[in-house]
Amino acid sequence: MLLEPREFRLLDGLRINPRKSFGGKVRGERLTTKKGISIEFADYREYSEGDDLRHLDWNVLARLDAPVMRTYRDEEDLAVHLLVDGSASMAFGEPSKYVAAQKLACALGYIALNGGDGVIPRNLGKREAKFPTLRGRANYPRLSAWVTQPREIETAAEGLASSLRAFTASSARTGVVVLLSDGLDPEIPLALRGLGGRGHEVLFLQILSQPEMDPELEGDLRLIDVESNRTTEITANSYALKEYRRRLAEHNKAIADSILRIGGRYALVQSDVTVEKVLQSVWKREGWVR
Amino acid sequence: MTFQAPAALLWFLPFGGAILVLYLLKMRRRDLKVPATFLWPDRVEEIRANTLFQKLKPNWLLFLQLLALMAILLAIAKPQTQQKGLVGEVTVFVIDTSASMSATDVKPSRFFEAKRLTQEAIRSAKPSDRVAIIEAGPTPRVVSPLSSDPARQLASLETVQPTDAEGQVGEALRLASALVGGIDGARIVLMSDGDFEKVSNFSKGKAALVYRCIGEMDDNLSVSALGTAETTSGRQLFCGIKNHGSHANAGTLSLFADGKVIDSVKSPMIAPNGQWGRTIQAPAGARVFEAKLDAPDFLKSDNYAVAITDPNAALRVLLISKGNLFLERALALDPRVTLDKATEVPATELGSGGASQYDVVVFDGIPEQLVKSRGVLTFGAVGMSSPVTAKGSAAKPKFVSAEKKALLESVNLQPVFIDRQTIVAPKPNGEVLALTSVGPLVVTAQEPGKRQIFVSFEPMNSDFPLQIGFPIFVANALDFLAGGASSALLSVKTGQPFSLPTTSGGRLTMPNGETRTLKSTGATLVVRDTMMVGNYRLDVDGKSKKIYATLRSDRASNIRPEKGLDLGGGQVKASASPLRFADFWRPIALLCLMVLGAEWWLFARKS
Repeated sequence: MLLEPREFRLLDGLRINPRKSFGGKVRGERLTTKKGISIEFADYREYSEGDDLRHLDWNVLARLDAPVMRTYRDEEDLAVHLLVDGSASMAFGEPSKYVAAQKLACALGYIALNGGDGVIPRNLGKREAKFPTLRGRANYPRLSAWVTQPREIETAAEGLASSLRAFTASSARTGVVVLLSDGLDPEIPLALRGLGGRGHEVLFLQILSQPEMDPELEGDLRLIDVESNRTTEITANSYALKEYRRRLAEHNKAIADSILRIGGRYALVQSDVTVEKVLQSVWKREGWVR
Repeated sequence: MTFQAPAALLWFLPFGGAILVLYLLKMRRRDLKVPATFLWPDRVEEIRANTLFQKLKPNWLLFLQLLALMAILLAIAKPQTQQKGLVGEVTVFVIDTSASMSATDVKPSRFFEAKRLTQEAIRSAKPSDRVAIIEAGPTPRVVSPLSSDPARQLASLETVQPTDAEGQVGEALRLASALVGGIDGARIVLMSDGDFEKVSNFSKGKAALVYRCIGEMDDNLSVSALGTAETTSGRQLFCGIKNHGSHANAGTLSLFADGKVIDSVKSPMIAPNGQWGRTIQAPAGARVFEAKLDAPDFLKSDNYAVAITDPNAALRVLLISKGNLFLERALALDPRVTLDKATEVPATELGSGGASQYDVVVFDGIPEQLVKSRGVLTFGAVGMSSPVTAKGSAAKPKFVSAEKKALLESVNLQPVFIDRQTIVAPKPNGEVLALTSVGPLVVTAQEPGKRQIFVSFEPMNSDFPLQIGFPIFVANALDFLAGGASSALLSVKTGQPFSLPTTSGGRLTMPNGETRTLKSTGATLVVRDTMMVGNYRLDVDGKSKKIYATLRSDRASNIRPEKGLDLGGGQVKASASPLRFADFWRPIALLCLMVLGAEWWLFARKS
């Protein structure tokens, strides 16, 4: 089940808190900008022929002698795209970044299912068959099963950015995109902008392992990129390590800037972080959930 | 810039090539899988290698190592820069203080010009330069040893004073060579006019010899001869003047007898290398004759001469010996002695009566013969004319006693070891002064116009020559044989040390009135201070001696500056401002250290 009972209790009662509103497909528990017929008042408008007279404001008509229709905010479900990076680079770390992503995906998925949102899990990496939208708490086991199904992440052929572009280009319903990834792709900032341009609200939780954040290498090395198999020869001296840290910080800043520009949310966590810690220090504090 | 060892630069090719080859080697790197490589700097530091081969890449380490190699090889090649100046890295100044250096053709004199040049050179020396100063006087001495202390060198230089004596430049050069001959790049700078005896047996070693010729002109007249001679018309005084210059010259000659002017005459113009003589009747009874020349020349010290006619003021001694250095030295120590040596008595000296060339004849292990001389000193071998008769010989006799006579004053014969003694019996005229267990040891005999001393062992058959009493005995013997007392008048050559037998010290009054206290060495008082021409007074044992020091040296009177010298078999040309080759390897070695330091820092930073 990945999540422990205690963690379930912590997540109960929370809902995904997007900045935008998105139109839903089915009636749900979430307010939408579409004027509907729910009890949540939205505005007045002039009566037009064919309008449902049940929503005519009789009081206004009596006072002003003008037919005015009451409009209501509709309550629809929110599409929560749960994108889990399954590229080869996610296998690094102790525990691995992928394991951390699985756990956090389960946690966010549980929150979304609890909130009545439609959860669409998707693996970024090896192409998989499209998974149906999950709704309701009862579907959590299915979500959990999807998350934990064995994947050969080591042999992932597709890079993170191209997987993300493929998602952007797909006909996926506009909604909240929860991205759980290490973001270790030089083109990821650009891909994120494309994602934002498509109308999605992106919640990017970048997961990096401790050795990636503060590597302790030494000696003369030939580094092999596990995704592209490209090699780079380095002498792991103070200069190289300093330069690595500088570049990583620059890369992460570029990601954060892209997310900020598209109105999304971004946080960086270490792969050994607990769900509780992320909940307290990121999701709740920065308003990802409420 | 030149190199002492330019061949060392060729080593750059193999060593530089070796370094390049090392940089062609490639590093075998450890493979490591990483999530992404784009975050890592695309820069490889080639500081180690363990496999072949790769394309040569620009590398600061390679550049610095090649630079360090170049610097090392440059330093080994011993680069030099040329500078003008007398001082080198290691320099010995040999300053000629001989009489000719007092010539005033260079103002104030050649000597002071040499001193000024040396002072300038010392002041211009670099802090790392080492300088020594040697005085090339009658007795060469190291005035200042090799040091880098200019203040001390200048102070030492002040103690160097000119003399009116002949200098031992050869000895001084040998001393300089002993000091720096083994040092590469050392320099011996001779400050002289070149007017000294030809130097032989001199090797400058690794040092360079620079001759700074001081002097411009050679005009000089000197009193070349002064003496008396008994002639049929009475005692005549002869004085000679010689022109050593290259121009004709004339002067005014004044002759003095016992301090009174007896003649004053202006000489005619004397041609170069020509002489002019003046002979006059010598006043009867006069003992000291002086000649003073007033001439427009550049050297004054040779314009004065003295002749003493006191019979004991000068002794001509003939040594008949197969070779006895101890005896020769003891005789030569006496300032009165003019020594001749022979293995047998010349026929003209044999017999009795008649004039003799010699005042004293010394027989050393050679049987005494009858000679015309007024004094005879015999060691070991008895002759017909000896005051003793031979009775045989004995080994290792023991000293018994000695009379307290002037001959044995300050002479202790008791500790003398005698290997073999001639057993003798004194003749009726013989007086035994010392006695051993086998018979008389020292016997004297006196007759009108004749005195004899017989010593019944040969000095070489004993350790007597090694005893301090030996030169005293010889001096006492000369006094005895000359007539019983030493003269109160002495004529010496300037700069020539002489000794007097005394256990107490003495006091020497210089011509300028300055006095010096002299201490005796053992039983001998050695006087080395008669460096200037003039009259000295020596007070010893309550007696006063008047000492006339004169130059009288044809060599020293020739003041022509020599532009080229034959020193040690090689011709040395005078050089006004010799080039100095200053070693330049130290800054390069420093640069090398800095480059190596930078290379180390870069290597540590990269690794």
